[in-house]
Amino acid sequence: MLAFKDVVFSYDDSGNVLDGLCLDVSPGEIVALVGANGAGKTTITRLATALEHPFSGTVVVGERSTDGLSPEDLSRSVAYLFQHVDQQLFSSSVRDEVGFAPRNAGCSPAEVLERTEQALERVGLSGASSTHPFDLSLANRKLVGLASALAQKPRLLILDEPTQGMDRKHMALVSRIVEEEAARGCTVLVVTHDLGFVAEAVHRVVLVEKGRVVEDLPAAKVVTDPVINQRLGLNMPAVPSLSVALRLPGTPVKFAEVVRALSTVAAGRTRQ
Amino acid sequence: MAKGDALVTLSQVSYRYPGADEDALESIDVEFRAGEVTLLTGALDAGCSTLLLVAAGLVPRVMGGRLTGSATILGGDVKEEKLGARLAGRVGLLLPTPWTQLSGMAFNVRDEIAFGPSNLGWNKSDIDDGVNRAMEKLGVEHLADRDPTQLSGGELQKVMMASIVVMEPDVLLLDEPAVELDPPSAQTLYDMLPDLARDAVVVVASTDVDRVYRVADRIVVMDSGKIVANGPREEILRKPELASNTTTVGMAFYRAGVEPFPISVEEAVERFGS
Repeated sequence: MLAFKDVVFSYDDSGNVLDGLCLDVSPGEIVALVGANGAGKTTITRLATALEHPFSGTVVVGERSTDGLSPEDLSRSVAYLFQHVDQQLFSSSVRDEVGFAPRNAGCSPAEVLERTEQALERVGLSGASSTHPFDLSLANRKLVGLASALAQKPRLLILDEPTQGMDRKHMALVSRIVEEEAARGCTVLVVTHDLGFVAEAVHRVVLVEKGRVVEDLPAAKVVTDPVINQRLGLNMPAVPSLSVALRLPGTPVKFAEVVRALSTVAAGRTRQ
Repeated sequence: MAKGDALVTLSQVSYRYPGADEDALESIDVEFRAGEVTLLTGALDAGCSTLLLVAAGLVPRVMGGRLTGSATILGGDVKEEKLGARLAGRVGLLLPTPWTQLSGMAFNVRDEIAFGPSNLGWNKSDIDDGVNRAMEKLGVEHLADRDPTQLSGGELQKVMMASIVVMEPDVLLLDEPAVELDPPSAQTLYDMLPDLARDAVVVVASTDVDRVYRVADRIVVMDSGKIVANGPREEILRKPELASNTTTVGMAFYRAGVEPFPISVEEAVERFGS
């Protein structure tokens, strides 16, 4: 669905931001890009949306190379949630904001309405459809951005820090939505520092350093291995930490799985 | 300010934003004392951010809307016209969107951090010393000559924190102060709070209970515009009826039917490690 082959790119002559990057993501996969600021994560997302084009190498989205394509050409298949969602909100109501992409893609008014209502229901904002987006809290504005992306019914969903500033309940909601999207065959690429979210929803973690992929590992391995955690400059999140520390059978990393394991283990191991 | 002094006192405070049809805060009674780090938490939209705006003296003076009840900040009444002059430099508020807090008057980070002290009439050498100390504290010395509008979100959040810390405020109000930061920088920021609270009020509004609780003396829990609990950290985190606001570890054990539940991995290992 998304393939980077030997991609070289730079914004100016101060050095290559992407330096021979290779990355393959299949339909239905949820892949997290991690790495320090300046490693090239956001640049990867800009090339995947045809906002930028490689100097050499190829970027393929769906079956097409992005060579000669503009973001508009990809707008029916690729949706993007900005890290700072305020940079993408411009309508005066949540309803108009979420309906913008389907309307622009030529959907009938009935279809626009249906997609808008569905997307808002999924993010739990049905009650806010006539609210001005900027009257919502930051986390809810982010959910409006996510709903806009969902209303596009994309084949490739790119999310930049989707859980930033969210509480546990909303993180669980975003995790569930991402899993649902992947289950219908959508490819999900997510830039994140939130290893709790990685444990809940992500399949594969790709570490980017100096414009190259230096590690490509299953998410369950990344969130439970303290050595890898340290190398990535991330803290092991609470749920996998608990799983590892208590040696829960099968080392579960998702909250619901850990709760299930705890109910049996705690009963058997209680010390008086 | 002496340790233990109540620097912010809210009594039966209700507040409604302009144009809103319901109250964002309802009958709030709370005191914030010097020497304490308070974690203010609750679901999103529970009213934590609004409570910080009141404690900063911005409501209703700057924001408009309707405030009832009484709120006293550093001895000044929140409804007083000239409250701003009394609080300038003594109350600091860090927003979760630091780019909305830039002065717009500085071409580099050093001048951005110096903006507050300059406006307070500090002399040049005090400004320079203060700015250097604040930059060192937040680890942003390497950004000193950068254009503040060109910084990343994380860099900017640290710079805006430095621009508040430089004035050594008596009341420090931080709204999701680490939302833009990577995990190691977030930890560094949280770790400096007890020191900042030595003679000052520090209130952190955050949903990141897992990381903030270790530096908090007190936890205030909000729900739908009301304070539903206020007490010492341990007491709040261990209450089953407040389990949705405890740590992730506490929540996992609570959901698994374990009571009393451990609240940290260390404690869980002590009790249930094999």
